[in-house]
Amino acid sequence: MKARKVRGLEPEGTLADNAERIVRVRLDELQSFIPRALDPTEVVALHDMRIAAKRLRYVLEVTAETCFGPYAETALKRTKDLQDLLGEIHDCDVQLPRVLERLEELRAADARTARMRAPANADDLDPRFATRTANARAWRGLETLAVYLQARRELLYQRFLEMWTRLERDGFRARLQYAASERVGGVNSVTGPSQDGNRDARRVAIASPAALR
Amino acid sequence: MAKARDIPGLDARMPFAEAAAATVAVRAEELFEQSENVLDITDIERVHDMRVASRRLRAVLEIYAPCFPMDEFKPILREVKALADALGARRDPDVLLDQLAKLEATLPKANLPGVEAFAAPVHDEQARGNEILAAALDHAERTDLRGRLALLATRAVAPEEPEEVVVEALVVEEPADQEVVAVEDVVAADPVTTVVHTTALANGSDPTGDGAGA
Repeated sequence: MKARKVRGLEPEGTLADNAERIVRVRLDELQSFIPRALDPTEVVALHDMRIAAKRLRYVLEVTAETCFGPYAETALKRTKDLQDLLGEIHDCDVQLPRVLERLEELRAADARTARMRAPANADDLDPRFATRTANARAWRGLETLAVYLQARRELLYQRFLEMWTRLERDGFRARLQYAASERVGGVNSVTGPSQDGNRDARRVAIASPAALR
Repeated sequence: MAKARDIPGLDARMPFAEAAAATVAVRAEELFEQSENVLDITDIERVHDMRVASRRLRAVLEIYAPCFPMDEFKPILREVKALADALGARRDPDVLLDQLAKLEATLPKANLPGVEAFAAPVHDEQARGNEILAAALDHAERTDLRGRLALLATRAVAPEEPEEVVVEALVVEEPADQEVVAVEDVVAADPVTTVVHTTALANGSDPTGDGAGA
């Protein structure tokens, strides 16, 4: 998934103002996969949402502590958790077809074996020829693996829905937008610090140029 | 997983370009510090750490992209992406094999032939991934990606610095085939980037610095 272009970045501008612009775009990008990703069959949307979470995470890793209000660091943890969970779901989405493909390969090989066991002039196949084939024991494990991956995917997706609901309920997006407009070590206090900001006296909320635009 | 190193002097109010120079210099060093024994498939954490470092470097390159001269930046970003992809080619089967080993330890014995049947081609992928990674590391070494990244860090555009013309003159005067330039030569010739460059060199002088990660 190609990242959305961040417009208006200025090398001569401050790190915090530029970082705020990037965070806002990456946050919108993440949000853009809702409601599509709330459908468990939207495998591509879920994968792209993971990439979007990763991009937001990385910009926050570089800037949260240095530039923004305290909620940015909380948002970094939440974003990482989201990315990790979506990554686990993606692993299931990738692995399950591979397991089924391997199962099909082995089943086809055993079917060939069973066919070859039959006499050339046989009118029909004796079912016993399909037993004790080379890969019979492997199927069982692969079936178990497939069941495991499918069930795990369902469980993890449920966790994702819960996590996203929690993020929305906690105002993740609005709070991160606000935190991105706060400045570490700012001088002029135009707005009050967010609730989370009370625990760190160094952080002073100011309205950043990007927030005012 | 190794924590990301702190970027010395990083400050919310510093110019974006200056932050770019300092951050790219540190993240580039971190990448190559993680390259030791990365081809050893018995210790999968080595390649994991280097892959994480490559992702961090790629991320900061993309974040700070507008600060660098595009003609120098784009090929280096492509090479970093290629190296990251090569690390992924090794890492992905590493992770899957690790998961399968844990499953094997949990499942009843009757299921093990199935897990092993699934793991067999993954082992082949791991071997192929290692070959891809070896080639990518060799390419990075031959093309001095490390040196070029260090040089790129010094090229962050800082319009407020004086004598911007000197940067242009420096670019014009470079021989066309001189892609890799000694860092010290650039510092001597280019007062514009000397400030940020000094930071980069200071970082380079302490490659084992263990600042707490972000």
